[in-house]
Amino acid sequence: MENFLGGLQELMTWGTFIIIPVGLMLGIIVGSIPGLTSDLGIILCIPLTYGLDPIPAMLMLLAIYCGGTYGGSITAILINTPGTSANAATLFDGYPMTQKGQAYKALSMAIIASTIGGIFSALLLLFAAPQIAKVTLLFGPPEYLALAVFGLSIIAGVSNDNIFKGLIGACLGIFVSSIGMDKLSGTMRFTFDNYNLFKGIPLIIALIGLFAISEIMMKSQYNPKTDAASLKSFSIDKQKITKEEFKRCIKPISIGSLIGSIIGATPGTGGGLAAFVSYDQVKRHSKHPETFGKGEIEGVAVTEAANNGATGATMIPLLTLGVPGDGATAILLGALMVHGMVPGPTLFVEQGNIMYAIMLGLIVVNVFMYIMGKYFIRFYAKITKIPYELLATMVIVFCIAGAYSTNNAIYDVFIIIGFGILAYFLRRMNFQLVPILLGIVLGPLAEMNFRRALVMSDGSYSIFVTRPISAFFIFIAIASFVLFFFKGNKGKRKKGAQKVESKA
Amino acid sequence: MKIKYNSDIISGGLFAILAAVIWLLIPSQIQTMETTAVTAQTIPRIVIGGMFIFSLVLLLQGLFMTPKKSVYIDKAFFQSEKFKKEMKSILFAAILIVFCFLISTIGFIISSLLLVVAILVFYGARKWYYYAISMSTVALVYFIFKIVLSVNLP
Repeated sequence: MENFLGGLQELMTWGTFIIIPVGLMLGIIVGSIPGLTSDLGIILCIPLTYGLDPIPAMLMLLAIYCGGTYGGSITAILINTPGTSANAATLFDGYPMTQKGQAYKALSMAIIASTIGGIFSALLLLFAAPQIAKVTLLFGPPEYLALAVFGLSIIAGVSNDNIFKGLIGACLGIFVSSIGMDKLSGTMRFTFDNYNLFKGIPLIIALIGLFAISEIMMKSQYNPKTDAASLKSFSIDKQKITKEEFKRCIKPISIGSLIGSIIGATPGTGGGLAAFVSYDQVKRHSKHPETFGKGEIEGVAVTEAANNGATGATMIPLLTLGVPGDGATAILLGALMVHGMVPGPTLFVEQGNIMYAIMLGLIVVNVFMYIMGKYFIRFYAKITKIPYELLATMVIVFCIAGAYSTNNAIYDVFIIIGFGILAYFLRRMNFQLVPILLGIVLGPLAEMNFRRALVMSDGSYSIFVTRPISAFFIFIAIASFVLFFFKGNKGKRKKGAQKVESKA
Repeated sequence: MKIKYNSDIISGGLFAILAAVIWLLIPSQIQTMETTAVTAQTIPRIVIGGMFIFSLVLLLQGLFMTPKKSVYIDKAFFQSEKFKKEMKSILFAAILIVFCFLISTIGFIISSLLLVVAILVFYGARKWYYYAISMSTVALVYFIFKIVLSVNLP
């Protein structure tokens, strides 16, 4: 209770109420531009938060995360292109509604559902996280290692079609994180006597290179004449949601919020999966399933409640265990570290006020999101028409300035370009970037606790399986890895069979 | 000349070579004095060893399981749309590499102005205000970082 009140007090400053709308505006803009994602928005803005205290800094980044998740629905509804992967399911009914001349109605429902889902999720975070954190106080080095392994096990869930590519990516990430001075022994590793590498590769530099520069490189084959012309035109009408429609949507929004929160709290999943599962459930139990996919407002309501329902819930394993649920939360994990907070068991004890301020702030973020979403719909609609070539120049200038500002070193600019080109090659080879990121973020935690635990046990590896909590996390890490592996293979076989069938 | 390949063969092969090279570099790049069982070399060895094994598995998958694409390297290939697109990506990477050399010699503002102009020319932008907006962004970013964040860009 003391921390709760302390957090509330720290939250209630003018700065917070300025920074949240700024973050939201940036998030919604980034989310509503096809080709830019909330992940990219967070990465680009991390350098801007260096001068801020941890609370406004994290709230700004969380606002970008939530705003981006909502903003992605705008393009999904208006131009049939999801702004982020979390909004893919919103296409099913969002775009048909636009075709029927109900774009305004769809956008309005998207903001209502997103807000309710987001607030539900934030409340769950507020009540569940401190309880989990109490249990995690019992953790020592073996448990921390087990947690890091558990975090790394979600690689299987985010490796797309080939788990070995995910594993290679994770190894590459851990290797990158090992560059520089070893914190335990002071030994230099892979520095090639270059003093710029003595401190290692800063996380934010790796992030900018891997995600932002590679994203721009991926679009280097973009042709403004043909690709821009393929964007469909749309018009914003003035049709409002009727009372009857709103009543119909209460149940889908509730289901979406609940399923979204549960799935969001499960590492390795994310808002995209939450939206698809919720949509499927609502459609299956609907009295009129035939209307889904043809512009059914309930379809927009459930998907948007679900993907925003995942936003707060993904923070539960992140803040309490230090395990990121998806790509965006892995980036937020890095951001927390940049601001001197190591997510995990001790965070609630050492920085309880900050934690409560962030969790309560997430509720405020969602309230502001409703206000900003409701009154600026037409403005966001115009953003979707910004040409990509113009965006590319803006993003790259921000990347360069952001990279330089991290250490005031030009060497970091070289690193982002190098990482960007490497990541571009990997993406072309169908590698996912999240496993690399997880390796970079969780690798040092895993190594440090692995070595500390072995010092504790006099070199005996049994310490990892004889301590119950450690054994439990190692077991679920292996179980989730195996589960994702077989699920992935099953999906692959299904795809292969479909290909064969379609060829036949 | 006909070449059969897939992304698993290329990436598996390249990462296997990379892992082997890093493995050989470990003794010279991590000169530890530790006498304990677990040293500063342990995790890098596990990780690089893992990378080598996973790369070999990927390579084998690519050779025997994953469907391969066939490409004929002839005159028509070099004139194809696909080849031109790949060249565009290489050109874009070259622009970024040239920028790296420029920023260390002529500073942020001029090199970034040249970079944004190069990118717009790369995309074939003809509207003057695209150039104006992009160049203004460079100035804006410079002042945001200088005034708000107290970062003097080079």
